[in-house]
Amino acid sequence: MVVGQEVARFLFQRIASGALVIVFASALTFFFVNLAPGGPSSIMRFDVSAEQREALIKRMGLDKPVVERYADWAAGAIRGDLGTSLLSDEPVTQRIGERLPNTLILAGAALVVSILIGIPIGLIQALRRGSALDHLLSFYSAIGLAVPVFWLGIVLILVFAVSLGWLPSAGVTTISEDTLVERLRHLALPTVALATTTLPTIVRFMRSAALEVLDEDYIRTAASKGLAPRVVVTRHALRNALIPVVSAVGALVPRLLGGTVVTESVFSWPGMGRLALEAAQGRDYPLITGITVVVAGIAVATTLLVDLAYTRIDPRLRAS
Amino acid sequence: MTRLGLFALATLGVIAVLVVAGPLFWTIAPETTNPAQGLAGPSLVHPLGADELGRDVLSRLLHGGRVTLLVGVAAMLASLLIGVVVGAIAGFNGGWLDALLMRFTDGMLAVPAFFFILVVITLVGTSVGTLVLVIGALSWMPVARVVYGETLRWKTAEFVVAATSLGVPPPRLLVRHILPQAIPSLVVSATLGVAFAILTESALSYLAFGVQPPLPSWGNMLQRAQQYVFTAPALALYPGLAITVVVLAFNFLGDGLRDALDPRRRR
Amino acid sequence: MKLDLSSFPFRTTSVLVVAALAVSACASPTQPGASTAPSAQAGPVSGGTVTMPIGADPTLNPWSPNAFIESLFINRVLFDGLTKPGKDLAPAPDLAESWTTASDGLSWTFKLRSGVKWSDGTPFTADDVAFTFNDIVLKPDLGAQNRASYAAVKSVTVVDATTVRFDLSRKFAALPSFLAYNAGILPKHVLSANPLTTTTFNKGTPVSTGPFKVDKYTSGQSVSLVRNENYFGAKAFLDKLVFTVVADPNTQVAQALSGDLQIMILDNKAAVDRMKSAAGLSVVARPLVQYYWLSLNQTDSRFTDVRVRQAFVTAIDRAAIIKSVELGYGSIANSPITPALAAYYDPSLASKYPYDPAKATELLKAAGWTPGANGVLQKDGKPFQFTMDVGQRGVLEPVNALIQQDLKKVGVIVDLNTMEWNSYIQKDVVRREYTATVNWWTYPSDPDVFPYYHSSAAGKGFNIPGYQDPKLDDLLVQGQSTSDLEARKAVYKQLQQYTSEVLPYLFLWYPQEIDVLSTSLKGVPELGLRDAMHYAGEWWLAKK
Repeated sequence: MVVGQEVARFLFQRIASGALVIVFASALTFFFVNLAPGGPSSIMRFDVSAEQREALIKRMGLDKPVVERYADWAAGAIRGDLGTSLLSDEPVTQRIGERLPNTLILAGAALVVSILIGIPIGLIQALRRGSALDHLLSFYSAIGLAVPVFWLGIVLILVFAVSLGWLPSAGVTTISEDTLVERLRHLALPTVALATTTLPTIVRFMRSAALEVLDEDYIRTAASKGLAPRVVVTRHALRNALIPVVSAVGALVPRLLGGTVVTESVFSWPGMGRLALEAAQGRDYPLITGITVVVAGIAVATTLLVDLAYTRIDPRLRAS
Repeated sequence: MTRLGLFALATLGVIAVLVVAGPLFWTIAPETTNPAQGLAGPSLVHPLGADELGRDVLSRLLHGGRVTLLVGVAAMLASLLIGVVVGAIAGFNGGWLDALLMRFTDGMLAVPAFFFILVVITLVGTSVGTLVLVIGALSWMPVARVVYGETLRWKTAEFVVAATSLGVPPPRLLVRHILPQAIPSLVVSATLGVAFAILTESALSYLAFGVQPPLPSWGNMLQRAQQYVFTAPALALYPGLAITVVVLAFNFLGDGLRDALDPRRRR
Repeated sequence: MKLDLSSFPFRTTSVLVVAALAVSACASPTQPGASTAPSAQAGPVSGGTVTMPIGADPTLNPWSPNAFIESLFINRVLFDGLTKPGKDLAPAPDLAESWTTASDGLSWTFKLRSGVKWSDGTPFTADDVAFTFNDIVLKPDLGAQNRASYAAVKSVTVVDATTVRFDLSRKFAALPSFLAYNAGILPKHVLSANPLTTTTFNKGTPVSTGPFKVDKYTSGQSVSLVRNENYFGAKAFLDKLVFTVVADPNTQVAQALSGDLQIMILDNKAAVDRMKSAAGLSVVARPLVQYYWLSLNQTDSRFTDVRVRQAFVTAIDRAAIIKSVELGYGSIANSPITPALAAYYDPSLASKYPYDPAKATELLKAAGWTPGANGVLQKDGKPFQFTMDVGQRGVLEPVNALIQQDLKKVGVIVDLNTMEWNSYIQKDVVRREYTATVNWWTYPSDPDVFPYYHSSAAGKGFNIPGYQDPKLDDLLVQGQSTSDLEARKAVYKQLQQYTSEVLPYLFLWYPQEIDVLSTSLKGVPELGLRDAMHYAGEWWLAKK
């Protein structure tokens, strides 16, 4: 029961802090964008006359004070209505709804790839600690952290799409032949680009976690009993090492979501990142604010889930 | 420190010297155009060739490096300042302010920084100053956590309690007694912070929100060079390589420092 | 109307031997209405899909203020206007069969094609035309795009089911040309309640009259068009015309190279050599009705002296700009009338201001600017120094870098202030808080440039420099007042001479567009791609 209370208190704290962040983010974004120079692209055009500009400002309701507009927006947001996009006249929730799945697919694929490749690499490095292989793999993963992702994306397109012609360079699918295989082929390059930046984090967490476990007494004991290191690792270390990997995933989610902005632009991937970019460039005030709220919400929810998973997996944490 | 860390430090030293002192010796101005030399290959006049407007690539790399490193270091300092203030206030005060600030820090950590940087930058403009402030303002959270942890740890230490009872004011206490304890962790955070800021600037440049031309930065050089990947790939190679090497070096230096300064992690 | 806001870098284009060859190889074999019984090899055949990239999600409504450049291509396929640009760019019949102007020049009457149906089968009538203008374009509170082009139109009257009359408040000889320019007619029976923001129309499957109609709109990905079986003219050859959203110009290049695109404007001109060497692609240069200019704000007394303006244009190496920024795809401009308007363009002006820094220095000296410390020009003890705002789009950034260096050579110091596009428009265009800036105008295929030069447009209209000159005003009005081709030619020749002399804007260059086409795509007329879209029904794919 004590455990239950602990978890409840923890949950409450996290939800409160998450809500705080979301409210803060929405207000900050809303006021920032509205006070910033420029205006919606429909009025910030060379070929719009002063008279048209005034008519449009009125039509979009931008002649009202910012505070009043935020109050209107917030009142709607509480009811799940994030307003109407200024640049497409569609509901913001619809626009986000169209793009969100694509972003989740891309970010999810990158995460899965990082985990599937990162865990074995981290383990191998831990087992061969200090060897040439360990250093080499460390070096490679460090490069992943250092290469600008858009540059990597362009190189990938040049090599695999243009020179070799193996994979498509843009979009989510082929319009004329929308099959699962086509979708996976389109997913390949953006996933590789994005996963390259997240893989090193998983590898590092896994490596140090495995090292820590390998140093634990019971593993040493197991080893001294003559069990092969491989067996020791799979039996004991892996399970215990998963804990830090879960928290690595938590730390990665915000980075993945941020990384999608650039990756989606390079690969013309119709996700939220690109939508955010278009909305920011076009000063689509309700859309930017809506995206901010949704992205912050996803990030907060994920960290919460990760923390919950963490308390479940780690018996020590539960006990304390 | 590890050999790799030392090597990284040496590399950064060399690059810093090149970028700071280089333009004193290589005096072609980075903005001088010469259309006749557009996309010229390497020569004695232009050892690394010229860009599409005939501007000297070497000179642009050196001057661009100054800007890029300046943005990186300044943004790191900004994040350090914010982080120290937030962490220390939370740690010292405790109570509701502690809870509020640290929950807020956790929340900010969960937020995709790049999204916010992008939104804010679009809106406040892209001068070097705003870039530094915005990147700094969205990357202070790890620092705040470190300082918070150290403050809590040392707040109850005997020498601090003694100082408090003597009436030493908290800010002084912080600077004199607590921060010095946190220096190892802060140095590591700072090193990684520079790497983060440089990568962020280059990504913003790709989206055309980074340092604005005609001021060269590695990020905006790379952005322009993209158009020429089909005809003059070398133009994109140099700044791309420069960014990668510097970020790699900062990361290795950070790791090396962590190992050297934190005995628990030495393996 | 005019400036097209291409959402990504690099404007474009050019004349090439390749172009001429490619064109002669695939000169359009069909005329609208000609029923085609294709011979097995040479003639057009039905079938196939053509894919073309656009930079962002389009808005399928030519009058929506949110229909930016990415919408323009597709809207020209979907929505017929009363007229369309002919293959010589003169207005040609589209929904209207013929038109005449009243003897006083204060009204135009259009005879509409009969038997035209909307894609949903409803008959098209004069009411749709009246609706489009009276209830959309001329309604001030809607803020319809291009509304400012129709300032001279008072109202549109339905004479009978197939006749409409445009009543004017002043003479407007260019009306038929303007009606060919992003002026598609919209269906009254669908949009009467909400003409500009009906999203099932703008972002869905609109009812239209063109040779293709929308089959599917997938946000962020593509818009697929299929043949419109109700089309009044010859049925389209292609089964499908797909517009795919590819924001990054480099990715567009990569896609064209891997054969995913059949036609595109090469926004990244730097890739032109790579495209030329690619198998299966042909590269053609097309003239545009577009010119780049440098505007010197006339509220700044330094720039009201014509010698200073002439000195600047002499000091700027425009040939070098065309070579390095446009890769040669363009020609030097000295007036607002572009070579694309062949009937009006005066080629003798091309060599008016050859690059000559020494001459520029002389002119500046005559204007009172003499070298001071460091070679910087001075007058009354003040250095000649000012800021140029650079909008972050297309080729503007490198062009400004070159101009800055050219002016530096004659002792004028220019500071560049690069700004995000949207903020730039607000500062320089809406508020006119600028000293000097470079940009471009694109306008309908008619030399009527009234809106950009007339005194009445200074300060708030499209007269960006704010140049005011009664003689120029007079020429502009004269050009609008007669529909006689020869008379107009004479007026606009004078106008070109005069503008090249007084330089209201500093004219820089006429860009050309580089179009990349699959070698199997035939029937695309020799026009800029924007105009060629009006002929999408004639495009066809040769069987491999």
